[in-house]
Amino acid sequence: MSIQPKKFERRGFLRGALATAVLVPAGGALASCAGGGGGGSNKAATGAVSDSNPFGMGDKTKIDAVVFNGGYKTDYVDFAGDILKKNHSGTDVKVSASTDISGELQPRFVGGNPPDMFDNSGAKSIAFSTIVDQLEPLDSVFAAKNLEGQVISDTVYPGVKDPGTFGDKFLAMNYVLTVYALWYSGSLFEENGWTPPKTWDEAIDLGSKAAAKGKKLFVFGTEAATYYHELAVSSAIKEGGDEVRLALENLDANAWSQPAITGVLGKLEEIIKRGYFVPGGSGTKFTQAQAQWSNDEMALLYPSGSWIENEMKDQTKAGFKMTGVPVPTLTSSPKLPYTALHSEAGEPFAIPSKAANIAGAKELMRTMLSKEASQNFTKTRLAPTIIKGLLPDDGYGSTALQAQKKMLDQVGTNVFTYKYETYYGGMHKTFLTLWNSFLDGKMSAADLAKNSQSEFDKIRNDSSIKKLQVK
Amino acid sequence: MTQVPIDANAEAPAVGIPSPTAPRRGHFLKKWTFDRVSFFAIFLGLPLVIYIVLVVSPFVQAIYYSLTGWTGFDSEFPFVGLDNYVRLFSDDLFVKALLNNVVLLIFVPILTIGIALIFAAMIIVGGPSRGNVRGLRGSNFYRIVSFFPFVIPSIAVGLIWAFVYNPNGGLLNGVIGFFGISPVNWLGSENTAMGCVIFVIVWASIGFYMITFIAAMKGVPSEILEAARIDGASRTRIIFTIMIPMIRDNVQTGVIYIGIAALDSFVFMSALAPTGGPNNSTWILSQQLFQTAFVQGRFGEACALGVVLAALTLAFAGLVFFINWVTGGRKENRIR
Repeated sequence: MSIQPKKFERRGFLRGALATAVLVPAGGALASCAGGGGGGSNKAATGAVSDSNPFGMGDKTKIDAVVFNGGYKTDYVDFAGDILKKNHSGTDVKVSASTDISGELQPRFVGGNPPDMFDNSGAKSIAFSTIVDQLEPLDSVFAAKNLEGQVISDTVYPGVKDPGTFGDKFLAMNYVLTVYALWYSGSLFEENGWTPPKTWDEAIDLGSKAAAKGKKLFVFGTEAATYYHELAVSSAIKEGGDEVRLALENLDANAWSQPAITGVLGKLEEIIKRGYFVPGGSGTKFTQAQAQWSNDEMALLYPSGSWIENEMKDQTKAGFKMTGVPVPTLTSSPKLPYTALHSEAGEPFAIPSKAANIAGAKELMRTMLSKEASQNFTKTRLAPTIIKGLLPDDGYGSTALQAQKKMLDQVGTNVFTYKYETYYGGMHKTFLTLWNSFLDGKMSAADLAKNSQSEFDKIRNDSSIKKLQVK
Repeated sequence: MTQVPIDANAEAPAVGIPSPTAPRRGHFLKKWTFDRVSFFAIFLGLPLVIYIVLVVSPFVQAIYYSLTGWTGFDSEFPFVGLDNYVRLFSDDLFVKALLNNVVLLIFVPILTIGIALIFAAMIIVGGPSRGNVRGLRGSNFYRIVSFFPFVIPSIAVGLIWAFVYNPNGGLLNGVIGFFGISPVNWLGSENTAMGCVIFVIVWASIGFYMITFIAAMKGVPSEILEAARIDGASRTRIIFTIMIPMIRDNVQTGVIYIGIAALDSFVFMSALAPTGGPNNSTWILSQQLFQTAFVQGRFGEACALGVVLAALTLAFAGLVFFINWVTGGRKENRIR
């Protein structure tokens, strides 16, 4: 009688241990959601405001910057940091590289000890809609004079504040200027006597010429199918002007039935139906797909941002002469001229309101926007910053940079940008799926427009998502 | 000598020997020595505290967060009740991910464990049907080769297979092209994408489960196998009537492990189908969780998703226990 219950106890204990073993992995799934407690404020000292110290950064303070370590690396911030240290001796600038901005900074935001400045970029960046209330306005940075004595807002390209402006607040300084264009091999086109298309009809025409040579017009990779979304929307905005852009930005109920958009989608559908796309894109990694264009020359054109040259550096055929032109228009009389560009400042640098050394972070931004630091970036990364007039005619030997200079010189004020796809975190994923199906020929242009509109409607009607008002 | 009843529970208080039950309590309390207390503290108390702090408390915290509209980037936790769960189940993408996970949960364990068992049996029992029970010739070689895929990190396995499946110039299309079959867009068409991913997960996992089953099978006493052979049992008969029933517990553990791995599959998916595959045919809960938390900044909802995922894991483990019990595991336990 006494043995039995004892035995039972031991069994029970073991059973509990077994249940524990089952629970542990489940707990792991849950534990990854844990948050943290709040922290106290730990503000750095401030100093006297002067011409060389417009934000009143304290003497011998520390600036803590977290920079996305992507295609542009992070040493360009170190370069600016070194200039800052020279100008304000005793200041300590710490630049940490990260490839997981949201994962790394999430606990710091929750804990109330965010970095002084961070570069919210990369695949794991933080959705701006979630942190707009926790960022410091940057108007004072653009109103300040740069190291050379010019007011910064006079030295930048038009429209560079737009991508970092949320509602009426300018919260993110986007440092690198990206030009969205249609890229092609200068040498291949020259050899065959082809000219880059200015309208979609010319593009279809070029497609048939390419087919005669056993080549395709376009190629796409599964993670980058939305580059064609960018191409289509930019072309539609050039066709229909600002009203097309505003309808999209404000998630208008008829955004995807605007004639400019359906017109462009129809042309793309024709190109897909004619088989002018390299088949199998939806099952191809985007880097492989891009190499099919830049190395194998299976396709003639590729729509992308100007990072493409740097990204494909190791996989570009010798003598490729990568060059770019503005995206084609629908008709020969679009509302915006053919030379209009979707050009967007990227690499958003922001300052959390709870940062310890806000003045120091602003000083670091001011230094990055100086002529010396910007020139260093352009020269070493072969990409323009938002500071204008720094691109040399020879593009430091890069044909792609020469093309960017040419496009930027011709654009005048016809620069536009849009951010609905990145601002509403979940939208990009939906568009990726839709565009993969569309470019694969499995979805009609009409269905693509219909499904895109229903994604818009879903977000517009979701009261828990903060909406962006664009005027 | 008089025969004393062997049963210790036999009532014999008449001779003055105290009943074993009554004084036991006192005995128990009296022995509450430092030795005993420290033993309990170290072997029961300490793990319990660690377990509560590191496992139970985040568990409870996550369940609480799942009832809030936390964005993940501030310290405000507005209570929203079950809204997150309602949102989840009315989200088509979530439902699709859930169904895809169920597909993984059915096929990955069956295929992996099934093939691993067959391989293990071949290596242990598959040899000549005369003489001692032994494996195929060269079984050591097969054992090492089958373990290779498990040694390679999952992300590398995924990337290698992404190249093999490449519709333009990939190895697989090259091979089938040799036989005159036109190229297939393996990861890009709805019919093949999920199958291709399951194949890779199974391919990468078989080696590990095979090794554990081999170890278990080696533990089966050779007398039993020899006796069976003398009685004229065939190899198939030995595998299905002796080997597999005797390593039942190992198989059960294996199924639960691979089931949990299949529920996760995040790494394989990131390499093979980072966008969720054609028409979301391979989009799974762990990807949805990451997307909800870090891309959309809806940590409350992501926690709700985590709770659902945990419930699914528990339900799966429970189901496996139940199936094992129903199919005869209970009889065996009684024998033990």
